[in-house]
Formats: sequence, C-alpha cells, structure tokens
Amino acid sequence: MPKLIKERVPTPERPVEERVKDFGEVNLGYTFELAVKEAERCLQCPANYAPCIKGCPVHINIPAFIAKIKEGDIKGALRIIWNDNTLPAITGRVCPQEDQCEGACVVGKVGQAVNIGKLERFVADYARKHGIEEELLCEFEEKCTGELGKVAVVGAGPAGLTCAGELAKMGYKVTVFEALHKPGGVLIYGIPEFRLPKEILDHELAKLKRLGVEIKTDHVVGKTVTLEELLQEYDAVFIGTGAGTPKLLNIPGILLDRIYSANEFLTRINLMKAYEFPEYDTPIAVGKKVIVIGAGNTAMDAARSALRLGCDVTIAYRRGEEDVTARIEEVEHAKEEGVKFLYFVQPVEFIGDEKGKVKAVKFEKMEPLEERDSRGKRKIRPTGEYVTVEADTVIIAIGLEPNRIISEEAGIKTNPNGTLVVDENLMTSVPGVFAGGDAIRGEATVILAMGDGKKAAKAIDEYIRAKKASA
Amino acid sequence: MGYKITAKEDLSPIDYFVEVEAPHVAKAWKPGQFVVFILHERGERIPMSVYKAEDGKVGMFIRKLGKTSLQLYHEYKPGDELWSFVGPLGKPIKVKNYGRVAFVSDAVCGHAENRATLKVMREAGNYTISVQTFEDREKVYPTRFLAREVADEYYLTTLDGSVGIKGHYLDVVRELIEKDRVDVIFAGGSLRNLAKLAELTRPYGIPTYATVRQIMVDGTGMCGSCRVLYDGEVKFACRDGPVFDAHKIDWEDAIRRNYERFSEQERLAKERYLEYLRAKGVI
Ligand SMILES: Cc1cc2nc3c(=O)[nH]c(=O)nc-3n(C[C@H](O)[C@H](O)[C@H](O)COP(=O)(O)OP(=O)(O)OC[C@H]3O[C@@H](n4cnc5c(N)ncnc54)[C@H](O)[C@@H]3O)c2cc1C
Ligand SMILES: Cc1cc2nc3c(=O)[nH]c(=O)nc-3n(C[C@H](O)[C@H](O)[C@H](O)COP(=O)(O)OP(=O)(O)OC[C@H]3O[C@@H](n4cnc5c(N)ncnc54)[C@H](O)[C@@H]3O)c2cc1C
Ligand code: SF4
Ligand code: FES
Repeated sequence: MPKLIKERVPTPERPVEERVKDFGEVNLGYTFELAVKEAERCLQCPANYAPCIKGCPVHINIPAFIAKIKEGDIKGALRIIWNDNTLPAITGRVCPQEDQCEGACVVGKVGQAVNIGKLERFVADYARKHGIEEELLCEFEEKCTGELGKVAVVGAGPAGLTCAGELAKMGYKVTVFEALHKPGGVLIYGIPEFRLPKEILDHELAKLKRLGVEIKTDHVVGKTVTLEELLQEYDAVFIGTGAGTPKLLNIPGILLDRIYSANEFLTRINLMKAYEFPEYDTPIAVGKKVIVIGAGNTAMDAARSALRLGCDVTIAYRRGEEDVTARIEEVEHAKEEGVKFLYFVQPVEFIGDEKGKVKAVKFEKMEPLEERDSRGKRKIRPTGEYVTVEADTVIIAIGLEPNRIISEEAGIKTNPNGTLVVDENLMTSVPGVFAGGDAIRGEATVILAMGDGKKAAKAIDEYIRAKKASA
Repeated sequence: MGYKITAKEDLSPIDYFVEVEAPHVAKAWKPGQFVVFILHERGERIPMSVYKAEDGKVGMFIRKLGKTSLQLYHEYKPGDELWSFVGPLGKPIKVKNYGRVAFVSDAVCGHAENRATLKVMREAGNYTISVQTFEDREKVYPTRFLAREVADEYYLTTLDGSVGIKGHYLDVVRELIEKDRVDVIFAGGSLRNLAKLAELTRPYGIPTYATVRQIMVDGTGMCGSCRVLYDGEVKFACRDGPVFDAHKIDWEDAIRRNYERFSEQERLAKERYLEYLRAKGVI
C-alpha cells in the first residue's frame, strides 16, 4: 500500500489582484509533473470498492485513469475517461467534486481528498494540446457512418451535446437544433469565461462536427419547427432544453431598472460580451454597489462577473453560510476576490429613485431553527425585523425552471414545476421522444445532464432498432 | 452560415425596408410573432416585427434609430448577410371572426403588423379597418407598403394634415367607437399612444390588443429582460406576448423600461458610430 500523503499538490492560480481585472481563467491547472505528483497520492482502491467511482454520477473508473497518469500514459487515461464522459475538460472544471468523487475519496477521511477534478481536467487539457485527442478521435470517426438512422436533438447544452456525440459514435446521423445563435447551453451563456474558457467549448463542438453531428442554431423547436415535424423526419427525438427560465421575486419594485435576473446579467456578459461594450454592441448598466440574491453557482458567477466590472458586491442569502449551495472552489474564489456575504436576510421590497432605478433593498431578517428540512438544510423563520441596504444594482439568482415552449406546443406531459415526465428509459409521454438534463430534473448539474444524454442515447438506439425490426 | 439580404429600400426619411432570406423563419411565421437578428459577430440581438414572410423571405420595417439600425442601413446592401436570424418568436394572435376588426398604428413596428394582421383577419371573414398615422407627408410610406389593400376601410392620417386626415389614429378610433363601428382593436407603434388607446377604449369595454415592445436579449423567455406587469403579475413580453390585452398592462413601467434602461449606453454607442460614419464620409 502506498504511503498516504495528506496534503494536496496545489494547482497554480492567477493572483487575485490580476485576475479581478479581466475575465481570463482563474485556475491554471496542473502541469505534467504536478499532475503525476498528485496522482501518486491516490491509494488505488480496487474498482469494485473505490468510493470515488460510486460518488461519480457517471461512474468514471477513477483509480484506473489516475494510474495511467502516474505511468505518464495520458492517452490511456483519456481513453478510460471517455468511456463514461466525453467532456472532461468541462466537467473537470465545473463539477461539484467535493460532493461527488472527492467527497467520497478515502484519502479525504484523514487528509485532503485526491484532487480528482483537477486531474481529470489535466488529462483533457494535456491531450488536447498535445494531439493525443486527435489520435483517439480518428479511431472514432470510422464508426460514425450515420447509417443506422436519423435522430434530432433539441438544445445544445451538455445533455443534448452528449446525446448527439454518443449517437453519432453508434452510427446515427444526428442534427442538433439550438434556439440561440451559439451552441453550449449554460456553458456558453451562463458560466463565465474565468471558470470555463470559451475556446474549450469551441474545441468540444469542433469534435462533435468531426463525428458528423450537424448543429442548426437559430432554431427554436416549438416555434421554428414543431416537434411533430421533427418526428416525421427523424426516427427519434431527444429533448435537452434545460431549465432556462429565471424565477423572479414577486415583491414590489421588481420592474425597477438595474434589477437583473442572473440569466440576463450573465447572458449579456458571457454570450454577448457586454463587458467589452461598445466594441461589442450589447450594453450592460451597473452602478457601484451590487447586491446578488441567492447563493448557488449562478449567484457566485454573477457576483464575480460584477466584481470584474469594477463593482462592490455583496451576496445576500436567506440561510446561513453552511447552506450555501455553490461549489466550494467558487465560494473561496469569490471571498478571495472581495465578494461580501450577508446571511439570514430575505428581500421583501426593492426601493427605487425618482427615475425608476433601484437604490436599496429592504430585507426581512431571518432566524435559523434547529429543525432541518428534507434536504438537510436548517429551517428558517422570519423575525419581523427589517433592514434596508443600499444598492444601485441587484441581481436575482434564486433559481430557474424549465422553459415551456416545447411542452406547451407538443402537449408533452409535465410535472407541476414544468419538468418533463419521463419513464425509466427517459422516454416522455410522446413515443419516440426522449428527454434528459435540467429539462427533466430542474436545475441540476452538468455531469447529470451528460449522464442523461448518454443513457438516452442507449435507449434511443434500442428504440430505433426495435422499431426498424418490427417494421 | 449567414442570412442573405435580398432587398433594401427607403420607406421615408426615417424608416426603411429590409428583406432577408430566412426560409426556416418564413415557413413558420404567423402574425403577432416577431424575429430576432444579429448583424455581425459583435452585434446585439435585435427584435423586429415582420411585415411579410413569403417565399422563404422575411421583410421588416426598420427605423433609423441607434447604432444597429443605422449600421444595417448604411453598411449593408442586398447580397450581404446577417449573422443570425431566429424566429418566429412570441405567440401568434388569435385569428377568428370577431366582426369588425381594426388595426391602428403610428410607427414602424405597428405599420409592419397592420398589413399582416388585417390580411389574415380578412381571410377569416372579418370586416377590416386600417388606420395608419404618420407625422407628415414626407414620412408617409410608398403606397404599396401601406395596409390599404387588405382593408375594407382605410384611413391615412398625418399629424399636420399635409396628407390624408389631420390627426392621430386616436381621433379616428374615437369616432369609430362613437358610431359603434368596431368590435376589436389591434394596435402597434409608439408605446405612449398605445397606453392612451387603452384608456380610450377601456370605458367602452372594447377588446384592445397591443404589441408591447420591451428590451429583449434572447427573446425566448430565458432572461427576464422583457418583463412587464400584466394584471399585477410578471409576464415576459417575448414569451407570453408580445401582443397583450392592452387594458391589463401596467403601461407606465413598460414605457420607462423600454426607453430608459440603457439610454446612456445607447447614446454613447450611437455617437461613436456617427463619428465613424462622418470620418468615412458616409454622412
Ligand atoms: C450560471 C450557472 C452556473 C452553473 N454552474 C455550474 C457548475 O459549476 N457545475 C455544474 O455542474 N453545474 C452548474 N450549473 C448547472 C448546469 O449548467 C446545468 O445543470 C446544465 O447546463 C444542464 O444542461 P442541459 O443540457 O440540461 O441544459 P442547458 O445547459 O440549459 O442547455 C439547454 C439548451 O437548450 C436550448 N433550448 C431551450 N429551449 C429550446 C427550444 N425550444 N428549441 C431549441 N433549443 C432550445 C437552450 O438555448 C440551451 O442552449 C450552472 C448553471 C448556471 C445557470
Ligand atoms: C417585439 C418587438 C418588435 C419590434 N419591431 C420593430 C420594428 O418593426 N421596427 C423597428 O424599427 N423597431 C422594432 N422594435 C424595436 C427594435 O428592436 C429597436 O428599435 C432596436 O433594437 C434598436 O436598436 P438600435 O441599436 O438601432 O438602437 P438603440 O440605440 O440600441 O436603441 C434605441 C431604442 O430601441 C429600443 N431597444 C434597444 N435595444 C433593444 C432590444 N435589445 N430589444 C428591444 N428594444 C430595444 C429601446 O427603446 C431603445 O431606447 C421592436 C422591438 C420589439 C421588442
Ligand atoms: S477513493 Fe480516492 S484514493 Fe481511492 S481510488 Fe478513488 S481517488 Fe484514489
Ligand atoms: S427577452 Fe429574455 S425573457 Fe424575454
């Protein structure tokens, strides 16, 4: 048994003073030497036991790929990861590893868990930069004949892109329909460049193209084409339309200027590059003092983006610090960069000036109780005490729900919260139409969306085979 | 992939017509729905009403207003391509036999919808009344772009009376109501006048539907930029509209949000662009 090293090999990061001035990536990732050193901390638990594999939503064979890094065989490592996850450069950057693989790692019981996320990212980045990925892709390309049938995928987020890639590799001809002018879903419009550089996404998209996947942007399914039309032309359809509709607070002042949903704020900044206005045509208007409401990944991304526009930023959350839902790395980065936190406050009114711009937020103070809710969070209750905090910009990041364009148009069965109802094969109430990702889960994670995309691809393959056999 | 401009023409000193090849949109579009385009890689997502969607082409009436509309006017000609063109977005209006349907408009986006709406209303068996208001003789569109041919009854008004009836569509509507000659009104154009129209028809209980323009980003219900208060509830103009029951809209907020949210930035961008045009000798 190898010696247990309690401390992680740190990953280099850009210094705070430098990085808050631009949107460049914060974490620089491991070098080859550092990655090998970190890989050596893994105890190589046997695959049938390894808790990290169980903790990973798509069950990547983690000890096996880490062993390959130790040997310096990056191609081997990538091959193992690709078995379960075709977007490691992305998941390695955005997965909440502390709740998944790393949260389960045995080394973590006595010291710091093996840095699985950063190792995954290293494999992907190294393989991309050194032509290793290219070699593997060539092997795949041969299989992509497109002869088995035609599948339409709706939505080019992680769920849709994964499903498309898997089906292409099986031999289907896949067309992806995307409403926006660029594919990627939340990865392109939501998650900022400083966490996920766009060039990485571009690279993944180029890979899909190589596999023969066609992406039709500017197509809103349910408006530009109907689901029925797709079903006439394709053997099956996968819906990966995500949960893109922002929840807003139903309190006075919600229409004041400079109150943004996090989606609007982040879309203007990430997708439309408003931080480069007027070089780019889309504007953004912020003041000096920003309050972000909520404490998930979306809130952290909005807060840190506002910080980069030169604002003073406070995150206001109705619960306490222990219930913050964002990834730990993002919370730490936010704190280092100077984002302030205000806990146990619930907004009850936005107060505006005579021009209709927000100037303050009135909060009711909340009080934690001992009791916990079904998700293990401490319950809270209103105190009847209020506090008013000045703010000239507010960003609301309290959650998202599925967009109902398709379900309304096609009459697909939904749950009351708008998520699509699916069976154990991810088939919706409409035969031949499958769904996955946030569209069926509500706000979830990139890796779960990808897992669904992959599972749906298998189910779609079986469905089409059965359909053709009985025809 | 781009979307080719197939025609471009001045409508008046302040408005112009542009037609773009976008078969995916033209095939599906219905009156009430709009499109969103982006000029180029650095461009903004711009919502636009549709004048006509036929033969794979989408025609629009555009006001020479700010950075984007001026750039499209001055730098793009037939044969050039728009970078992105998506739609149709929003909900189509309900077409049925209402009886006597009027469409009233006093600005580009309204004039665009006037013709398209009344065309389908007439096909559905309605008696159609069109009212189009322009500032003065100079600003009136060439006849073939007016809604006259789809109207059983047509009124052209100018504010100064230099051609047609002197006055605003509001004056014509007042008369129509007094003579009990209209069952439902659709309207587009300036938000301030739409608000006045809502007040005018409210006491008579005449159903009034207006296109509520709001500043948009995605146009699909993803960002909440276009939110309006409707019957006390937050609705998204792009997803739940853009055509709403005018009596239930909180107009004061809608007007402020549409004109003031980014006015400082818009002014800056326009000034910079005009400087550029001057330097190039275009204007
Ligand atoms: C700001 C932000 C930060 C996040 N950070 C993290 C993180 O760090 N880690 C993590 O794991 N998760 C994170 N998440 C959650 C994660 O991004 C989502 O769970 C994931 O993207 C869901 O993938 P999806 O493919 O189901 O949907 P999406 O990524 O939402 O993609 C759906 C796509 O479908 C398109 N679409 C919608 N309707 C239609 C239609 N009718 N026709 C055509 N196209 C349509 C949309 O335009 C979009 O491109 C974050 C989410 C947000 C908003
Ligand atoms: C449903 C709908 C239909 C429309 N139809 C027409 C039409 O038929 N003809 C026409 O000329 N205009 C129409 N508009 C308005 C058009 O989108 C704006 O005039 C255009 O965005 C102006 O851009 P600009 O850069 O030239 O001017 P800017 O200087 O950027 O803006 C000038 C004014 O245009 C409006 N505006 C700016 N950006 C947006 C945006 N992203 N979304 C909506 N409004 C914005 C605001 O009122 C702003 O004050 C419509 C808008 C909507 C929402
Ligand atoms: S649980 Fe930790 S130590 Fe065990 S195999 Fe996984 S990463 Fe290595
Ligand atoms: S424009 Fe984004 S929700 Fe309407």
